[in-house]
Amino acid sequence: MTLAIDLSKISKSFPGVKANDDINLKIKEGTIHAVVGENGAGKSTLMKILYGMLKQDEGTIKIFNDEVNFSSPKDAISKGIGMVHQHFMLADNLSVLESIILGMDKASLKVLNKSKYTEEINEITKKYSMPLNTLSMIDELGVGEKQRVEIIKVLFRGAKILILDEPTAVLVPQEVNELFNNLKNLKDSGVTIIFISHKLDEVLEIADEISVMRGGKHIDTVDANTVSKTDLAEMMIGQNLPTPPKREQNSIDEKSLIINNLTAEEENGRKAFSNINFSINQGEVVGIAGVEGNGQRELAEAILGVYPVESGEIILGETTINDLSTRDRREYGLSFIPEDRQSQGLLMDVSLSENVILGKQSSKKYKTKYHNIKFNEAAVNSNVVIENFDVRTPGNETLALALSGGNQQKFVVGREIENKPSLLIASQPTRGIDIGAQSLIWNKLRDARDNGLGVLLISADLDELIGLSDRIFVIYEGSFVKELDPEEASPELLGSYMTGLKT
Amino acid sequence: MVNFVKKYYLIILPVVFIVLIAQVDKYDQLTTSGTFGAAIRLAIPICLAGLGGMFSERTGIVNIGLEGMMIMGTWFGAWAAWMYGPWYGIMAGILGGAMFGLIHAVGTVTFQVDHIVSGVAINILAAGVARFLNVVAYADQPTKSSTQSPRIDGEVGDFTLPYLSGGADTPSLFGYLQDLDIPFISDLGGLLLGATSNLSYISIFALALIPLAAWILWSTPFGLQMRSVGELPTGSESLGVNVYLMKYIGVMISGGFAGLAGAYLVLESSGIYREGQTAGRGFIGLASMIFGNYRPLGIFMGSGLFGFADALQLRSDDAVHGLLILISLILLIFAIKQLIEKKYTNASISIALSIAFLIWFLSSENVPSEFVYFTPHITTLIVLSSASQKLRMPQKIGQPYRKGELN
Repeated sequence: MTLAIDLSKISKSFPGVKANDDINLKIKEGTIHAVVGENGAGKSTLMKILYGMLKQDEGTIKIFNDEVNFSSPKDAISKGIGMVHQHFMLADNLSVLESIILGMDKASLKVLNKSKYTEEINEITKKYSMPLNTLSMIDELGVGEKQRVEIIKVLFRGAKILILDEPTAVLVPQEVNELFNNLKNLKDSGVTIIFISHKLDEVLEIADEISVMRGGKHIDTVDANTVSKTDLAEMMIGQNLPTPPKREQNSIDEKSLIINNLTAEEENGRKAFSNINFSINQGEVVGIAGVEGNGQRELAEAILGVYPVESGEIILGETTINDLSTRDRREYGLSFIPEDRQSQGLLMDVSLSENVILGKQSSKKYKTKYHNIKFNEAAVNSNVVIENFDVRTPGNETLALALSGGNQQKFVVGREIENKPSLLIASQPTRGIDIGAQSLIWNKLRDARDNGLGVLLISADLDELIGLSDRIFVIYEGSFVKELDPEEASPELLGSYMTGLKT
Repeated sequence: MVNFVKKYYLIILPVVFIVLIAQVDKYDQLTTSGTFGAAIRLAIPICLAGLGGMFSERTGIVNIGLEGMMIMGTWFGAWAAWMYGPWYGIMAGILGGAMFGLIHAVGTVTFQVDHIVSGVAINILAAGVARFLNVVAYADQPTKSSTQSPRIDGEVGDFTLPYLSGGADTPSLFGYLQDLDIPFISDLGGLLLGATSNLSYISIFALALIPLAAWILWSTPFGLQMRSVGELPTGSESLGVNVYLMKYIGVMISGGFAGLAGAYLVLESSGIYREGQTAGRGFIGLASMIFGNYRPLGIFMGSGLFGFADALQLRSDDAVHGLLILISLILLIFAIKQLIEKKYTNASISIALSIAFLIWFLSSENVPSEFVYFTPHITTLIVLSSASQKLRMPQKIGQPYRKGELN
């Protein structure tokens, strides 16, 4: 069997870090080869080098036994390498056709041959059975479809080697199955696939071979059929795989939050969610499972006071907070971990010691009686968060953007928990971060719960929901369709309720 | 037909209103060929500036420096026209604007300066440079002045459609229709006659640029790359698009359009360079671009509306009074539309404004002359802000892009 990719002695340094250290990696043609490792293990850097986005300091790359020297992704594409990024590289304002053919022609003033391109795209979609309407605008598509556009985009460029960067991070289980079927089809027609992930179950399911990276080094390449999950985990982090351990319920019978018949309407008249009823006790985690876009985000925002409510009641502790502003709700003890730390949780161009103020900027905690900000207080508190939540940073004057994703998230979670709330809404608290940060956040959430905090957990990570929650509600098309005990819930069961297969 | 009306009623209804109002003798200037002819001449510089803004902002660069680039267009246009003749003036105007576009591109693309800061700097710089050049270039002229150029001689020549509009001593069909005095038909005759007679070749050139711009942006690989750069620079880069180059070209085309707009002002309306001649048209062009939703046809409609109102205030105070009832009616349409869409707050604001304009119309014979000069601005603002409900700007507009920052 020929080698599709042969990397030897690849090294790459950034100021202060050796991102890739003497990496040797061989990938066979026509296989699915997984690359696993924690965030910061060097997977992304290696893939960027392979895709021509970065230049290695040392080492050689051979593609189908040809030594290559990429200076831009264009060179990589011309050698048959295509990459599907974790964050889709698609513009809402372009059509599917335009997104796929972008960059195919030189930037000339001749007429684009759209009908020829449409035909060629249809051939590909038929061949790999991945249906697509080329005339749709990108913003009309769902996540799974967008990913399909991305895959077809690289196939259309004649890619024989496909790099998928964390492709399942944004998908629900059913969509993951569909993706895996597509990938198997691709493999059968001779495409080589590099699958980057840190979800070991998926990797074991789909991959033929698995390469593990840790701390910039290539630890080993193993056969997916013989290796066990535990072994993989140990290779990956040097310790056992953390799972959110379950525990017996010990919530206090005092309500932290009560929601009565809450209904909200979208602008177009559709119900964002309707007749939502539930309560959260102190010291209890209530999880909400649902496919993105089924109303869970709106529900969280409604409790926070950002999304307008049509009818119903929100009671925090003993206060009805329907008519309170978001600021007042926060004063009454509401905390919020937003799903997108970079756009909603932090000011990226601002230091940590200032970021710690966010959410409490108008409270007495950080305001003098002359309405000046207590920067000293903020500096002290930011250090508390940094220490208690193991935020790896040179200091509290570091800008938020200089931190890795996991450390940013730890800081956000720490800030919200250190504000000593009575209710915490945690929306995707561990999305897209490495296992170390994930297990720390899980532990901290559990500790806070044990100390009597009520938590509303919204997550797309079903294992996280099952492991952390005391009760799980499934939301489907704006209504709670099922309440489940995490003891009896499995990701598959949740998935079938989430997609409406079961009611 | 029904579908056509449903889709374009926001354009059709106001046109019908204009025609109806124009049936009253006092307001007949609303639809004469003279008004339309003037409207086109007044609209073109704004339209050009708007198209310029579009090319820049489609690549993600906010171009508030349009005004400054237009000033460069006026000065270079006047100077080259005075030295060598009008067509050289056009060329020089485009180049002068593009040169300042290049400065804006260097600042915003290469040095990542905030787009607004760079734009404001361009505007200030252009005013100073124009004055400086004016002093230097005309130092040995008898009419030397720091704020004016000598008068420019030489005509570009103009064109009237033969047979339809009476060019080259042929009969004029549109003129005949206008004189028939039948509602709609004679108004249409007036519109067509105004649009097709005594058009200078520069105007024809400028008008031809509108479909050309649309064709470039939506039908060529170059245009697709240009649009993608403003939407998604990182993704475009990964597909082999030269993002920096596209942004540079976009901003320079933008400057070229603004410069052309400036040269047009000099050569078509005044025959002389004067300081302050652009009078904020660059900014109005920017507004027409936003309300035109970053599309050439929308920009043309927006600038046409401004040109129309501007022509009215120049030609007839009476007709401006007729505009009041027109605005009132248009606001009423929007109120109804918003009521159907259940946007009650917006609807009540529209209704209140509509009634206010109606009362004003009924209780007065004339619009006060102080206000007349201001009508084009207020008309454009009200109509366009109610009409443009679904704006969609390029996704990454105004954001810096650094090469190699792919994640």
